[in-house]
Amino acid sequence: MKRRHLLLGSLAATGALVVGWGVLPARSRLGSPDNMLPTEGDIALNGWIKVMPDGKIVLAMHRSEMGQGVHTALSMLAAEELDVPLSHIRLEQAGHDSIYGNVAMFVGSLPFHPSLSEDGNKPATVRTGEWMVGKLARELGINVTGGSSTVADAWQPVREAAATARASLLSAAATQWQVPVTELQVTAGLISHSSGKKGHYGEFAKSASSITPPNVATKDPKNYKLIGQGAQRVDIPQKTNGSAVFGIDVRQPGLLYAAVVQSPLMGGSLSQLDAKAALALNGVLKCIELDSMSGSAAGFAVVGKTTWHAKQAALAVTAKWTQPQQGVVDTARIAKELQAKLDSESGFTFYDLGDVAKAESSAKRSLEATYSAPYLAHATMEPMNCTAQFKNGLLEVWAPTQSPGQARAAAAKAAGIDADKVKIHVTLLGGGFGRRLEVDFITQATKVAMACDGAPVQVIWSREEDMAHDFYRPMHVAQLKASLNAQDQVQSLRIKSAGDTITPRWMARTLPALAGPVDMPDKTASEGLFDLPYGFANQHMSHVATHMGVPVGFWRSVGHSHNAFFSESFIDELAHETKTDPLDYREALLTQAPRYLAVLQLAAQKAGWGSALSKGHAHGIALHESFGSIVAQVAEVSMRDGQPHVHRVVCAIDCGTVVNPSIVAQQMESAVVFALSAALFGKIDIQDGVVQQTNFPSYRMVQMAQAPKVETWIVPSTRPPAGVGEPAVPPLAPAVSNALFVLTGQRKRALPLLA
Amino acid sequence: MQLNINGQTVEHELDPQMPLLWVLRDVMNLTGTKFGCGVAACGACTVHVNGQATRSCVTPVSSVAGSRITTIESLGSADKPHALQLAWIAEQVPQCGYCQSGMLMAAADLLARKPKPTDEDIDQAMSNICRCGTYQRVKAAIHRAAGASA
Repeated sequence: MKRRHLLLGSLAATGALVVGWGVLPARSRLGSPDNMLPTEGDIALNGWIKVMPDGKIVLAMHRSEMGQGVHTALSMLAAEELDVPLSHIRLEQAGHDSIYGNVAMFVGSLPFHPSLSEDGNKPATVRTGEWMVGKLARELGINVTGGSSTVADAWQPVREAAATARASLLSAAATQWQVPVTELQVTAGLISHSSGKKGHYGEFAKSASSITPPNVATKDPKNYKLIGQGAQRVDIPQKTNGSAVFGIDVRQPGLLYAAVVQSPLMGGSLSQLDAKAALALNGVLKCIELDSMSGSAAGFAVVGKTTWHAKQAALAVTAKWTQPQQGVVDTARIAKELQAKLDSESGFTFYDLGDVAKAESSAKRSLEATYSAPYLAHATMEPMNCTAQFKNGLLEVWAPTQSPGQARAAAAKAAGIDADKVKIHVTLLGGGFGRRLEVDFITQATKVAMACDGAPVQVIWSREEDMAHDFYRPMHVAQLKASLNAQDQVQSLRIKSAGDTITPRWMARTLPALAGPVDMPDKTASEGLFDLPYGFANQHMSHVATHMGVPVGFWRSVGHSHNAFFSESFIDELAHETKTDPLDYREALLTQAPRYLAVLQLAAQKAGWGSALSKGHAHGIALHESFGSIVAQVAEVSMRDGQPHVHRVVCAIDCGTVVNPSIVAQQMESAVVFALSAALFGKIDIQDGVVQQTNFPSYRMVQMAQAPKVETWIVPSTRPPAGVGEPAVPPLAPAVSNALFVLTGQRKRALPLLA
Repeated sequence: MQLNINGQTVEHELDPQMPLLWVLRDVMNLTGTKFGCGVAACGACTVHVNGQATRSCVTPVSSVAGSRITTIESLGSADKPHALQLAWIAEQVPQCGYCQSGMLMAAADLLARKPKPTDEDIDQAMSNICRCGTYQRVKAAIHRAAGASA
């Protein structure tokens, strides 16, 4: 029995113990009107929808807007089912009830091969695993914005809540007018009857609140007016005139500002602090020691009347740091250790198909390669920050966070008060990319606010602190080995990778109550390797989990971000090794994977694969599934002054039902540029415990002049919606690298490409 | 110190070395101008000083006393938005939006100098960093505002 199945078996057995609970469907996420904040005049109809006196709608917004368009997409779901224009939806931050927890992300974290998860084709282990994890996630109610899961997760509950509210409102109107509800029509939030009676939602909200409509169905997709349309984003106007409020824009009366200095030695602690000179400076109020907590680095904060006063004073503090007991981390040493682990350990098997050993022993020849990817920082444009105020026993926190529930728990713990005495205000996020799933900056702001005698205080990190105290995308290495027969057909594919696992570390930092004593196998380590769509008869994919001492975290597309570079570069190597066109080569291996094939062929066709390009230009292609969506990219690359220049990237995506194709296109463009920065330049080096990259000049980004033209083509689908924010990151590096191989004849097996 | 910000004259007692960015944000509460890097590398803090795009995070406030300072808050108004702001909405440029104040101020300076910029002009003038990768829409929006086809 595979260990994975053993794991699921024990999970299922635990569930079976609670027999009744185990077989019942997950609890409804409709919620009650009590879940919404009461506001004067508005009437809540369930946990998601309130009706305003003028008939406009308030939607509980449970997810964080960090650029990926969720404020718009979720508003569209509600507007669609309520038959109101998008402009009638107002947003209000959701509370902490478990109806707002993320179920889809946790179900998506199960290590099932995608071919097993296609609808209608699920073995019992998959069905049981998804059922049980779905039910557990529903009960845990962990509200995180991540894993490209927002629309997939909200698809049912938000549409159902809106449809239920609509049914109650129509029922109330029918009763008042004494006409059959089936004769009512709704246009732009106005209910009307052929008798001439009409009224907006606000007029029926009070009577609707006592009606529980039975068996409400969501709309037939053929009647969609908004879903599938490229509606303008609701958050854009405020982002063109400076009025959008990000974390650092929170302004409370009497606001103080704090600069933070954290141990320059990774994992180090503060051994000596002398703030006398700093405190003597004009406009400086306090210096506060900060212990390591919830993943935060040890250090100190200086509070001043402006950020600049605090920053200047921080420079005047004399601090001494002690290196961590476990020794000083160093990325050159870690690279060697990972290689040694690959050679000496067998790791956890994520996928095993056929008999690889037998296939290898009977093979004519083999192709082997070792790939690697470095540590990466998130470098959100808005540096880490958080504002907090502790007054009269209550803690208010204003935070750009992807994890408001964990933020509340961490703040309560840092303040030593109950969670119900903590109010979290989620601001807009100036980028997230996974960095703001962490709560280190929340605990720091709380600690500082606790020392500020009731005054609100804004903690802002410098860019240098942000880059040196990230939770980095971990360094990973992989050995790939294909065995070939006399006809050059692949007999087997074996992939073994090594590197730190993220989920157990993140759980320990942000969900300590759920973190186990031993690390469970983490899908994110092997995703993009164990789950390939290609029809190789014999496959063995394993991962050696390590713990190297560098704080590691979720970085946009997580394991896929490096593993797609490993796997899709290696597939390209196989194509060239067997003198086959890389598109033809993939097509031949995808005869049993029609969705993948369709995406691949769409990208190739739109890019003009195989047609003549400008002199000195070449195409590279890559295909990758992540977060339920399949993306293929064709990159057109040339060498310019000895460096690769990417001219154009054609993306094709199958992400299931599309809520807003304009946002899908934005996210394809976004992911390409984000991934290109990493592919060309991205790396974090740590020498003697100190992060070497300090700011944007040394952690280089793609700018306007290097940005390729990105085109997006969507494969029509009626499947449920899948991820959009991350899935176009993984294929970019291999698509570019595969084009470079055509240009230079040199195969790049380590990122970044411009090392 | 006397400052002329968004058409108004204000008087504040300020450390002459304090960067204009923090005067705007923490003293004036004009938070549309963003802090990104502190070393003039990313452009999130771009404002206009006498009409010229300037990175406020490295600009000592004393050096702009008596100059005309314009921030994103007065690039246009609700009644009369700047052509770039309308183009930004039409092209659906912003994602997270954090860098966009700086992008808009840099673009406004470019258009003032070169009313019909080429792609190359835009590549050269717009060195602002955007982690969401809005570059191609920024370019399209600048062309749109310039009245040229992208």
